[in-house]
Amino acid sequence: MAKENIVELKNVCVSFDGEKVLDELSLEIRDKEFITLLGASGCGKTTTLRLIAGFLDPDSGDVLFEGKKFNGVPAYKRQVNTIFQRYALFEHLNVFENVAFGLRVKKMPEAEIKKTVSEMLSLVNLEGFEKRRITTLSGGQQQRVAIARAIANKPKVLLLDEPLAALDLKLRKDMQKELRNIQRTLGITFIFVTHDQEEALTMSDRVVVMDKGKIQQVGTPKDIYNEPKNAFVADFIGESNIVDGVMLKDFVVKFSGHTFDCLDKDFDENEAVDVVVRPEDVDIVPVDKGMLTGTVTSVDFLGVHYEIIVDIGGFKWMIQTTDECFVGDNVGLYIEPDAIHIMKKSEYSGLYGDYSSYSEEMDHLSEIEEEEE
Amino acid sequence: MNKKSFGSRLVAAPYLVWAAIFVIVPLLMMAYFAFTDNSGAFTLSNMAQIGKYKKAFGVSILYALAATIVTLLISYPMAYFMTKMKVSSQRMVMIIVMLPMWMNFLIRTYSWISILANTGIINTFLKSIGLRPLHLINTPGAVILGMVYDFVPYMILPIYSVMSKIDKSLLEAAEDLGSNAFSRLRRVIIPLSMPGVISGITMVFVPSVSTFYISQKLGGNKNWLIGDAIEYLFGAGPEYYNIASAISLILMVMILLCLAVMSRFSSDEEGGVII
Repeated sequence: MAKENIVELKNVCVSFDGEKVLDELSLEIRDKEFITLLGASGCGKTTTLRLIAGFLDPDSGDVLFEGKKFNGVPAYKRQVNTIFQRYALFEHLNVFENVAFGLRVKKMPEAEIKKTVSEMLSLVNLEGFEKRRITTLSGGQQQRVAIARAIANKPKVLLLDEPLAALDLKLRKDMQKELRNIQRTLGITFIFVTHDQEEALTMSDRVVVMDKGKIQQVGTPKDIYNEPKNAFVADFIGESNIVDGVMLKDFVVKFSGHTFDCLDKDFDENEAVDVVVRPEDVDIVPVDKGMLTGTVTSVDFLGVHYEIIVDIGGFKWMIQTTDECFVGDNVGLYIEPDAIHIMKKSEYSGLYGDYSSYSEEMDHLSEIEEEEE
Repeated sequence: MNKKSFGSRLVAAPYLVWAAIFVIVPLLMMAYFAFTDNSGAFTLSNMAQIGKYKKAFGVSILYALAATIVTLLISYPMAYFMTKMKVSSQRMVMIIVMLPMWMNFLIRTYSWISILANTGIINTFLKSIGLRPLHLINTPGAVILGMVYDFVPYMILPIYSVMSKIDKSLLEAAEDLGSNAFSRLRRVIIPLSMPGVISGITMVFVPSVSTFYISQKLGGNKNWLIGDAIEYLFGAGPEYYNIASAISLILMVMILLCLAVMSRFSSDEEGGVII
């Protein structure tokens, strides 16, 4: 992967009607990487994308493209292309003309247009669809046309604004793979926006977790999952139990009334911290062998494993295990040192990570979010 | 068509009765008169005489075309700029555009006489600043002006309503693909607003081609349109009903042909938005 930055945002602020949407946001995007802006509705991810596309100028701060200041350059002069949330295809034109749109604007010779369009259509597996009207295509096919239309212009950066949100699950999975392949084939930078953490983890080289117009963490999917920076990130990416703890000294933390060995250091002595333990990293053991003990309050069978909620001194833990348990059982929990991750206290401490009010549906409620702004 | 319930038929009944009495019956009467002579016997002689009116037909079509083109040239940019305004301003401008429509069009036409007349407002003003008065009234220009003035809202409204519904993300997509403002207008806005244009053209051309009042008041007796011929013949007595009906029938067939041609232009799937 190349090291140079193709796009840079420097202390960018944007507000709409007095409301801060982006707050002193700085981000460096490397050439040829697949980077994902991840966050819930209203976190500012789409605004960030529109800033790079040129549909929006920052109130303050700079947008740089290949090291040059880009503020005020209109969208039509930027070497970036966008795949829009609802595709925004031209229904008055057929598939061929949609893909050819940008090329015709550039006044490319007809023969070259023909060649490029057919290349693009074969890249997205739509050979033979040239003459079809947009309205006769399925959602997945429209998506492919939108991709072909954007990449036909050979952009240096492709912006993707929740492009898969309107597709059903199976198609989504296929398109995720396909987009990844297209990105590798073309060797261009993809800036992908999504609220779906799984999508972000599987597709990206790097993930940018955003909330309240600020970047919470930037890192590889593994970093983000294993080393979340604060309770927001830990909660947003996957399931996590987040409990209050005290760092007694390097490599020793105390929480839930027990002292644990861990792999974290460089905290003050007796510093209050947030402790993250992922549900799949907890072993259920007999009570007498457990580091912590509690009562099972709910058991869900999910096929691969059981998802059980254990009440430990009033705090509800989520644990994923293949051992069958029953509601009312007393169980012991065993946690390896490398399963414990320590985070500094943040504004998000105490907001997440307790499964008292947990319900399965909550995860699926926010599936298709409204466009921001 | 799916089966309609008894209820929905009942709701439609008043209009159907209305249409039968005031649309279907007059049309049948018109057709009857057009193909009979004064004694009621079948004849084609009325149709054979149509040739005498070909100049009036020609002038009507010419004026109506000119009025339609001028109206379109005024209305399209107007509608375009309306869509660019703030929503509250759009409503305001809309009301201003529609305001004249709430006044009787005879009165509106009449008031143009006092503006254009040889002793009217414009010429009084020209004389007062020492310029030579212009001959404005009773010219083809005055007739076309009257048509444009009376029918311009019927062009602006359909274009505006179609244009304002164009998805903003399409314009962003076009900009994203390298289109500047002019190219977005040419490649996206104009093609997508065609149904509104077609509908506007129809709504201006049809009343223009068949008008008689505007041409009489603003055109004097030199700019004799086909509508004037029909009006004159019907007024001249029952013995002219047959020829007047024949002209009306031909005019109607012509208009229907225009509509058919126009609806082919608008998007095939939606069948156009001809009102």
